Amino acid sequence: MNTKVDNIAPAVKNQFERMIGSGCSFADARFYDEDSSQHIVLYDGNLESNNRGFERGIGVRVLKQGAWGFAATANLTAISACFDRALANAQAAAKLLGFPKDMGPAQPTKGQYRPPVEKDPFEIPLSEKLKFLKDIDTSLRDKTVAQRIVTANFQRRRIYYWNSEGTEIDRWVLNTFGSMMVMSPDKDGRNQRRSVELYSDGTGTRGYEWLTNPDWFAGHAERIKSELSEILAAESLPPGKRDVILLPGQGFLQVHETIGHALELDRILGYELSFAGGSHVRPEMIGTLRYGSEKLNCRAGVVENSAGTFGYDDEGSQQRDFMLIDKGVLVNVLSCRADLAEANAKAGKTVVKESGTAARASAFYRSPIDRMTNINIDPGQDGTLEDIIKDTKDGVVLDVPVSWSIGSNREHFHFGCEIAWEVKDGRRTKVYKNPTYQGHTLEFWGSLDKVGNRSTWRLHQVPNCGKGEPNQIMELGHGIPVMRFRNVQTGEKE
Amino acid sequence: MFEDRLRDLLISGRNQARKKGINAEFSFHREKSSLIRLGNSAVALSTHEELTRLDISVQQGRKVGSSSLTADITSSEQLQATLDQAAENCKAALGKDYEPIFGKVEETVDDSAGFDPELENFSPEAKTDLYAEVVKALKPKGKYDFSGSWSSGSTEMYYITTANDNEAYRRLTDSKFLMVLKEQNRKWELSVERTANKTGTFMADDVIAEFSSLLPIYEKNSGYKTKIGRQRVLFGPQAIAELLMLGIWGGFFGRFWEEKRAYTAKNKFGDKLFDASITITDDPTNPNVFGMPFDFSGKRRRPFVLVEKGLFKGLLYDSMAAAKYKKQPTGHDLSNTDFVLAPGNGPAGLEAGKKLAKNALYIPHLHYTHLPDPTKGMFTGSSRFNAMRLENGEFIAPLFSTRITDTSPSVFNNIVAVSSISVSQNESSTYGRRMPEAMSVPEYMLCDNVRITDVADSF
Repeated sequence: MNTKVDNIAPAVKNQFERMIGSGCSFADARFYDEDSSQHIVLYDGNLESNNRGFERGIGVRVLKQGAWGFAATANLTAISACFDRALANAQAAAKLLGFPKDMGPAQPTKGQYRPPVEKDPFEIPLSEKLKFLKDIDTSLRDKTVAQRIVTANFQRRRIYYWNSEGTEIDRWVLNTFGSMMVMSPDKDGRNQRRSVELYSDGTGTRGYEWLTNPDWFAGHAERIKSELSEILAAESLPPGKRDVILLPGQGFLQVHETIGHALELDRILGYELSFAGGSHVRPEMIGTLRYGSEKLNCRAGVVENSAGTFGYDDEGSQQRDFMLIDKGVLVNVLSCRADLAEANAKAGKTVVKESGTAARASAFYRSPIDRMTNINIDPGQDGTLEDIIKDTKDGVVLDVPVSWSIGSNREHFHFGCEIAWEVKDGRRTKVYKNPTYQGHTLEFWGSLDKVGNRSTWRLHQVPNCGKGEPNQIMELGHGIPVMRFRNVQTGEKE
Repeated sequence: MFEDRLRDLLISGRNQARKKGINAEFSFHREKSSLIRLGNSAVALSTHEELTRLDISVQQGRKVGSSSLTADITSSEQLQATLDQAAENCKAALGKDYEPIFGKVEETVDDSAGFDPELENFSPEAKTDLYAEVVKALKPKGKYDFSGSWSSGSTEMYYITTANDNEAYRRLTDSKFLMVLKEQNRKWELSVERTANKTGTFMADDVIAEFSSLLPIYEKNSGYKTKIGRQRVLFGPQAIAELLMLGIWGGFFGRFWEEKRAYTAKNKFGDKLFDASITITDDPTNPNVFGMPFDFSGKRRRPFVLVEKGLFKGLLYDSMAAAKYKKQPTGHDLSNTDFVLAPGNGPAGLEAGKKLAKNALYIPHLHYTHLPDPTKGMFTGSSRFNAMRLENGEFIAPLFSTRITDTSPSVFNNIVAVSSISVSQNESSTYGRRMPEAMSVPEYMLCDNVRITDVADSF
């Protein structure tokens, strides 16, 4: 059998008819005609990873008697058997049924999506990429630097989606990631590091041209070297309660771990409990829970050049922009179609009206689950970073995570950062090393009292968010302004 | 034994590479995986994946390039295209400043001892039936929700290189069962885990009995909020496996040691690192682990000592770190190791451990750990399932979520007792591909002076 999409599509549609005829209420399929990846790592100038990957195959879901069955295969001549396997899995699952899954009403959609790209990274010769990365590596060399790591990752996917309702989506995914890091032991022999990952102000395109824009990547080599030198000469941050100003390079992970994951509906409903954990949010809290101060405005956004922007999710819903937390009050969550009825039933009222277009799968051989998209904090009206520093009597500015550990219901957290700048009486005074801070989620977001303006807002990507069983690594984004929190525990409690 | 069709295909690929004068390594991975996810006392997802993957690495002098294919690998054209891509990457590569080590299968291995055809095809119906039996028995007894996952399947790995004609093949089955009971109002969580490489290793009655033994303490007592500061902790198997992995990650990787980033960087072999009750090995012959017989540079894996009676004995060098720092590779070009924390002289059984501990926190699981400062061996993580307060050797209350932030050297030097009984702790993950991994750990480890740094008002 010819395994080109022109032949796959009718074969899949025939299977939809067969599945519906077998009593299924819904069926869908994702055909990855191409899933290409490239991974390059320069470690102390040595090319330690130089890999191209290619995947191709199909993943299918069927919903029967309210239960899901999923199967995947790379054998594109065995699509019928793959649906049979998914059907058998759904029938087995239906033997122990809880709240019956229901996709709810939806109009069939025909759509296409292509991300904004000027230069497809896969069309750029490897030698050119290596020269670019090697030049960065060379610029990171310094007598104060013990180790240097420079990486680039590229992904290109062509995904066809069809479902039994008649929806047909043809989309491309193209992601670009880059990172650089310098490390050295400090005077106490403890390893210190400073790093930057490819980021942006949320505008522009997301191809190879993004990586080579010095504003968002290569131009930071000198800065991180210089800041590492300051860290090496610094003392450890003394423990104590003080104001904490998070730069977007740290704020993105704060949002990711204590808002993003906590608002995934499958976690809220208990479907992730045995692995990633649950959520302190319950369905009935949606619409009323005070998640943070009135300064907190958080949305699932659509950003031009982000790995969290994908056009249509993996069940064919067109990605949309909506508020999650409005003036501190939780108003919506990250969801897919099949969990809405259960959330509303458990809440005893309608708390989620439509899909949050968050059904995402990491590969053809993984089933879509609720994932983050672009979980952004809206810019505020408290001026620039310097304005916020001027207004701070006793605090620290923190940047870039070193470690993160979060309670199973996302109710408490502990973060370590690369660098802290002490703020005393409205001025940055000195650098501290080994900063950590910890807190309890609602109390922490309740202490948010300054949110920087648009000039402070930056888009950071997360290339490796892990969740689900079988495990899935997902790419997403966070647009974050500078934020100040009052009276936070820094260092360890004694 | 590896299927002839695929073996012939890969050997023909090796011959092609030899003809062209290309130094190539071929790694083949095939999995048949099924998984049931339980959520809200029902099966939330039932999956099945059949996948084949081919990784080819090409080395010419100091240049290396690689290529990976996940597809239905049936033709020599696909294999050739993957080889060509790896060769092209190698050609464009930058040369390293050291001589990389090229893979060579030391001796032919054909290991299917851990394969059980019944487990490979273990049905979702059988899993659902067991889950249903547990739910039916326990759900009426309280406001309980059940969740969990049960993964089973087979993995085949085959590795050859152009360096010689030897072949390394491994086929095994594995199963990882987890069930979580959550009380809907108070939100506490209990878990039961099982690991297996054969079918019929455990029954619903075992799971019901284990939950039933834990329920009374949780049902009859409110949550215990412990104090911040240093305390005695009785660790259980999953927490011990987590501590072991954190301790190895921060201290025993050759590259990190060479770069002075390990907490052992100032130590030399023979130095005292930990309490004399601590012996750590990577031992593929231990019956509690899945036992990977070779690595992906072709090294035959044999028991390898890291710490013996508290003394520093070894570091893990993959072939890249070994080449860079002019050391011998130790068989660690792989992601699924077989770590063993040796049993101690402590009395057997958790009951005996409780009596010995007297007043302590019982923390059998550590959730979401991380290393804020690896050069100090500092880790942080919080308690989760089945955690309880011990007084006078008896469980008296469930423990609210409690954060530990301490260092590996401190924990492994503050040992009071290590159980004389070992158990298997399944640490498999399925990120990317099926890769069974388990550790052998004592059933309990009692430590003093463990640093508690935060306590929540909830579970």
